Amino acid sequence: MEATAKASFTGHDSPAKTEKRSWLFTRPTATTGLVSWLTTVDHKRIGFLYGVCALFFFLVGGFEALLIRLQLIVPNNTLLSANTYNEMFTMHATTMIFLAVMPLSAAFFNYMMPLQIGARDVAFPRLNGFAFWVFLAGAIVLNIGWFVKSGAPDMGWFGYAPMTSHQFADRFAGDMSTDLWIMGLQILGVSSVVGSLNFIVTIINMRAPGLTMMRLPVFTWMTLFTAFLIILSFPAITIALVELMMDRSFGTGFFEVSQGGLPVLWQHLFWIFGHPEVYILILPAMGIISEILPTFSRKPLFGYPIVVFSGAVIGFLGFGVWSHHMFTTGMGTVATAAFSLATMAIAVPTGVKIFNWVGTLWGGHLSMRTPMMFALGFIWMFMFGGFSGIMHSAAPADAQQQDSYFVVAHFHYVLIGGSIFALLAGIHFWFPLMFGRKVSEKAGKLSFWIIFIGFNTTFFPMHFLGLNGMPRRTFTYDGNMGWNSANFIATIGALILGLGIAYYFYVMIWTYFKGEKVKHDVWDARTLEWAVPTYPPPAHNFHVTPTVHARDAFWYEKTHQEEIAKEKAAHAKDEESHGGIHMPSQSWFPLIVTLGLLIGAIFFVNHNYVGAIIGGAILVLGIYGWAIEGPGGYHLHVDKEGNVTRDDSH
Amino acid sequence: MSTHAASAAIDHHHDHTTTTGIPNKKLFMWAFLASDCMFFGALIATHLIYRLHPVPGSQEPTTFFSIELTSFSTFILLMSSLLMALAVNACQKGNVPAVRKMLIGTIFFGAIFLACQVYEFTHFVHLGLTLSSSQLGSTFYTLTGTHGCHVAIGVLWLVMMYVRTFKPHDGAKGSKLWPYYSLLHVGVVVAAIVFCTWTVLDATHAILEHGFNGEAISAYLHHGMIPLVAAAVSLIACRLMARSASAEDFGEANAIDVESMGLYWHFVDVVWIVIFTVVYLLEYL
Amino acid sequence: MLALPLLVGGWVSGPQSTFETAGPVARSQTGLMYVTLIVVMAIFVIVAGVLTYATFKFKAKDESGEKAPVPPQGHGNPLVELGLIGASVFALVIIAIPTVKGIWYTYDVPEAERANAYEVTAIGYQWWFKFEYPSEQIDNVGTLVNANELVIPAGRPVRINLRTFDVIHSFWVPKLAGKVDMMPNRGNHLWLQADEPGYFWGQCAEYCGDSHAVMRFRVIALAEDEFAAWVAQQKQPARTVTAQAEAPRPALAGYTFTNPGRNAPGWTREFDSDPLGNWRKMQAVPSAEDAALIAHGRQLFQEKNCITCHTVRGHEGGGVTAPDLTHVGSRTTIAGGLLENSPENLHRWLRFPDEVKPGNKMWLGIGGMANVSMQGYVHWDPETRSFTDKRNIEVDDDEARALVAYLHSLK
Repeated sequence: MEATAKASFTGHDSPAKTEKRSWLFTRPTATTGLVSWLTTVDHKRIGFLYGVCALFFFLVGGFEALLIRLQLIVPNNTLLSANTYNEMFTMHATTMIFLAVMPLSAAFFNYMMPLQIGARDVAFPRLNGFAFWVFLAGAIVLNIGWFVKSGAPDMGWFGYAPMTSHQFADRFAGDMSTDLWIMGLQILGVSSVVGSLNFIVTIINMRAPGLTMMRLPVFTWMTLFTAFLIILSFPAITIALVELMMDRSFGTGFFEVSQGGLPVLWQHLFWIFGHPEVYILILPAMGIISEILPTFSRKPLFGYPIVVFSGAVIGFLGFGVWSHHMFTTGMGTVATAAFSLATMAIAVPTGVKIFNWVGTLWGGHLSMRTPMMFALGFIWMFMFGGFSGIMHSAAPADAQQQDSYFVVAHFHYVLIGGSIFALLAGIHFWFPLMFGRKVSEKAGKLSFWIIFIGFNTTFFPMHFLGLNGMPRRTFTYDGNMGWNSANFIATIGALILGLGIAYYFYVMIWTYFKGEKVKHDVWDARTLEWAVPTYPPPAHNFHVTPTVHARDAFWYEKTHQEEIAKEKAAHAKDEESHGGIHMPSQSWFPLIVTLGLLIGAIFFVNHNYVGAIIGGAILVLGIYGWAIEGPGGYHLHVDKEGNVTRDDSH
Repeated sequence: MSTHAASAAIDHHHDHTTTTGIPNKKLFMWAFLASDCMFFGALIATHLIYRLHPVPGSQEPTTFFSIELTSFSTFILLMSSLLMALAVNACQKGNVPAVRKMLIGTIFFGAIFLACQVYEFTHFVHLGLTLSSSQLGSTFYTLTGTHGCHVAIGVLWLVMMYVRTFKPHDGAKGSKLWPYYSLLHVGVVVAAIVFCTWTVLDATHAILEHGFNGEAISAYLHHGMIPLVAAAVSLIACRLMARSASAEDFGEANAIDVESMGLYWHFVDVVWIVIFTVVYLLEYL
Repeated sequence: MLALPLLVGGWVSGPQSTFETAGPVARSQTGLMYVTLIVVMAIFVIVAGVLTYATFKFKAKDESGEKAPVPPQGHGNPLVELGLIGASVFALVIIAIPTVKGIWYTYDVPEAERANAYEVTAIGYQWWFKFEYPSEQIDNVGTLVNANELVIPAGRPVRINLRTFDVIHSFWVPKLAGKVDMMPNRGNHLWLQADEPGYFWGQCAEYCGDSHAVMRFRVIALAEDEFAAWVAQQKQPARTVTAQAEAPRPALAGYTFTNPGRNAPGWTREFDSDPLGNWRKMQAVPSAEDAALIAHGRQLFQEKNCITCHTVRGHEGGGVTAPDLTHVGSRTTIAGGLLENSPENLHRWLRFPDEVKPGNKMWLGIGGMANVSMQGYVHWDPETRSFTDKRNIEVDDDEARALVAYLHSLK
C-alpha cells in the first residue's frame, strides 16, 4: 500500500519484486551499445540524439541553400531547373525550421533544462524518448520525397492554398510529394507538443528545493515560454493540415476554390501557428544568450525580472500579430492598422532584452572567449534583424517589402544571426559540460569570424535587392534589373558562410576526439548545470539533489562553500535512508509506438489503407504495452568517494 | 523521490513530491487540454467562417439536423460525466467495485453517444450531406468527427482502465501472464461495445423501416442475427472475465490515473456543449 | 559595411526600384520606409555606440584580467529600464502615426479624386496577367481586353480590381505602388497613379508555381489624348493584310533564328534605353509586309489549335483562358512580359515554350499535369513521369516564321 501510494504520485510505479516479468515487459538495462541508445530515457542522451540529428539536417538544409545561391549567382543561370529550384527553397525552409533550429533548441532543452533546475530527469522520461523518435519519424517522412518518383514538395514551406490542391500541386496522378509534406509536419507537430508538455510539467513540478520561479535560470524560463507557445500554436497548423489532408484524400472542400473554399483561411490558420513559431525559434536563443553574457561578464544578468517578463510579453503578443504576414492580402484598413500597431508593440519587449544584454556587459569583466564572441555577434545581428522587422511593421512600407529579398534579408538576420548564432554559441558554451573537452580559442574564434563575415556578405546585400524590386522564390532573374552585382556578392558570401560552417563542424568533431580536457567549472559559471560532479554528468546528474538559495545558484554555491557542503552531507544521508537515488527504467515502447506511427503514416500517404491500419494497430498495441509495463525504476547508491552502485532489487 | 511515503490518509489534492504539490499527471493533462482547446478552436472557427461565407445554393443545415436526437445524445454525454465523477470519487475512497460499476456506466453512456453519432452520420449521408457535397458537409463531419474520435479514444481509455482494475499484484498468481490476458479482456469488452451498438442500430433501422410491428422483427432477425449472437457471446465473455484471481493491484493509489482520465472525459463533454451550441442550436435561432 | 552599396553602385536603381518612385502611392510608401529607416538608424547609432563602448571599455585585457576581482554583482536598475521602455515607445509612436495615415491613404483612391479614377480589372493566371477595361465596351463583343501590358492614363488615379481563378498571385509595379495579392474567391483592389507618361516593370510577387519567377508584366502610362487614341485603336478588330500571291515561304523571313537555350535573356539595351519610345514604335504599322506568309500564318494559327485558347478578335479563335492576341503585334513584350516582342523571341517562344516558361500550358496543355484535359505541345505520361515524343502540336521553323509574320501583323 505504502509503496504504491508513493509511486503513483511521482509517476514511478511499484517495481517488479520477486517473480520475473514476462519477456515482453522485461526492462532493458544496457548502459552502452545500440540497445542503450534505442531504449534510452536519459534526458542527456535524448538531448544528444536531438543535437546530432539537428546538426545533420542543418547541413542538409545548408547544402540546399548553397544550391539556391549558386543558381542565382548570375542572371539567367541554368544550374537548376525551375522545379528543382522550387523544391530546394521549399525543403530548405522546412528543414531549417522544423529539422534544424527547433530540434537543436530541443536538444538544449533536454540536456540543460533538467540540470538547471536540479532534477534527475524530466517528469515523463519515456515520453521524452518518444518525442525524439517521433521527431526522427517526421524528418524521415518529410525527406522521403527526394528518393521517390514524386520528388520533394515544391509549393513552399507555407503551402498556400490552393497551390497544395491536386490540380496545382500534383505533377502526375498519385503524386504524393504534398501528402508527404502534410504528414511529415503533422508528425513533427506531435513530437513538439508531446515534448513541450513534458517540459512544462518538468519546469513547474520538478524544481530542486528552494528554486522558486523567480530564481529560475533565464534559459529555463525561455524553455517554459517556448513550450507554452508550442502547445498553443501547433494545434492551428495541425488542424489546417488535417483539413488539407481531408481535401486531398477524402474530397472535402476546405481550400478547394471551386467548392467555395477560402484560401485566405489557410493563411490565417497557418500564420496563427507561423508567427508564434518565429518566437519558438528565437526565445531559446535569447535564453542561451542570457546565460552566456553574465558568465563571461562575471556579473548577474541586468534586470532579470524584466528580461523574464519581456519574454512572457513577447510570447503573449506573439499570438496577436500573425496577420502582419498577410498585409498584402487585402484585409482592409482597420485590421491592417491593428496588426501593424500590435507588431510595433512587440518591438518594445524585444528591444528591452537587447538593452538588458548591453546593461549586463556594462561594468563587467568581459572575457572574450569563443561563446562570448558568438553571443556578441548575436546581439549585433539580431539588432539588425530587429530593425528591419520594425520597418516591416509599417504596413504601407511593407507593401513594397513583402515577398521581396528585403524580407529574406530580415528573417535570415533573425534566424541565422539570431537563432543559429546563439545555438552555435550554446554548443561552444556547453561543450565542456557535455563532453569534458573544450574547443581551442584560436580555432573557435577563426570559425566565428569566417561565419560572421560570410553571413553578412550573403545577407546584407539582400536588403538592397529587395528594395530594388527583386521578388522572393524566383529561380531566375534578368540581367537588366540592377540585381547582378548584389546577387553575385551574396553567393560569394554564401560560399564563405558554408566554408565557415564546415570549419566549425571540423573543429567540433576534432575537439570531441582530441580536444583539450577541461577542469571542473571551466568558465567560472553561474547556473546550476555546472554544479554536476563530473563533465560529462553522470546518469543521475547530481550525487545529491541541490538546494537553491539564490538566483545564480552555482555562483552562490561557490561563494558559500562551507554552508553548502554541510547541507549536502545532510541531504545525502537523508536520501540514502529513503532507498537511494530513484532512476527511471529504459523502455522499448517509445520506439515501438513510433515505428507504428511511421509505418502507418507512410502507407497512409500512399493511400494504402490496409498498411495504414496495420501501422495504427502497432501504435495502439505499443501504447497498451507502454501503459501495462508501468514506469518502472531502480535505485542508485553513491558512496563518499562518488562511486555509484546500481540496485535493481528494491 | 522517496522521502514522502504517504502513510495513512492520502491527500488527493496535494502531492508532496512535486514542487507545486500538483501531481505530474494532472498538470500534464491540464496542459494537454489547453492545447486541445486550440485544436477545437481552430475547427470551430473554420465551421463558423464557412457558415458566414456560404456558397450560393449551399445546403441548409436544418433540413438534416434532428435536434431531438442530438439533444438526447448531449444529455447522455452529460450524464456520463456525472458517472465519471462518481468513478473518481469511488477510487479516491478505494472502493474498487464501485469504480468498476461507474466506469462501466460511463462506457455505456459514451457508447450510446457514439452510436447516436454513427446513426446521425449514416442518416445525413442518405439525405445527401457528404464530405464533398458542400462546405457544410466538410466542416460538419470534420468537426463532429474529430470530437467523435476524442470520445472513442476516451471510451477505449475507460475500457483499459476498467480492465486495469483487475490487475493482480506483481509476483502474485497469474501476474506474469496478466498483460496478455488483459489485452484479450480489452478486446472482449470492445467487441461487446461494438456488437451491442451494431445490434441496436440494426434494430432501430428495422423499426424505422417497417414501423414497430412483427414485420420489423422478422426483417431484423433476417439481417441482424450475426451481430446479435456476437453481442450475446461477447457480453457473456465480459461477465466471465470480470473476476480477479487474487487481490487486485488497484486502489486509492490509482485515483490520480482515474482523475486524469476524468479530466479528459469532462473536457470532451464541455467541447461537445460548445459544438452543440455552435453547430446545432445556432441554426435554430 | 554601409558604404558598400555606394562602392558597388546601382543597388538602389533599376526598372523595379522602390526608391525611384513615379507616383503618389509608391512615393508615400517609400516616404514611410524612410521614416522607419531614420528612426531605426537613430536607435541603432545609440545602442551600437553603447554596445561598442561597453565591449571595449570592460574587456578583460589578458588572462590575468579575467581572474581579476569579481565586479560588483548588480542586478539592474528599474529607472534605467523604465526610461528605455519609454524611449522605445516614443520612437514607435513616431512610426505609428504616418503608418496609420498611410494605411488609409494607400487602401483606396482618395475621396476627392474618386470620380476621376479610371477603373481596370487585372486577373492573374499561371503565369500571365489579363487586363480588362470595364469602361471600354466594344459593340457586340463586350469589354476591351489586353494581356501582360496594362496601358493607363497618366496623371489620373487608376483603381485596379484584382482577381484570380487559379492560385494566388500578387500585383506589383514597384515604381507605382506596393503589391496587393490576387486571391481566389476574394475581391481585392489597389490604386495607383503615374505622374508622367512612362513605361514601368511589374512582376508577380506571390509564389504561384513553376514559372512564378518569369510571370511579369508592364504598365504603360500615356498622356490623356495618346491614351484615348490607343483605346480607339485597341477597340478595332484584328488587322487583316490581304494576300497577294500563293503562299511562298521565304527561307529567313527577315531574321535568323538560333535557340539561345533555357532561361536565356530576352531583353536588349537598345530597348531599355528608351522603352516608352520603343513602345510607340511598336504601334506603327510596318511599311513592307509579306502578305502571303501572313496568310499562311493565319491558317496555321487555326490548324495548330492556337484558337482553342487564344482569341484574335475579328479573325479566328474564341478562347479566353490565354492572352488575347488581337493586337499582339503592338505589344512590346511576349510570354508574360518576359521577352521583348522581336521576331526572334516570338519564334523562340513558339518553338520552345518550355525553355522559356517551364510548365506553361502551350507545352503541357490545360488542366495541370495530373489531369490533362487538353494536351499541349508534348504528351505528358503520368506513369513514367516524363514527356514522350508523341507531339500533339508540332511547330517547325518554317511554320514558326509564318506564325511570327502573322502575329506581328496584328498591330
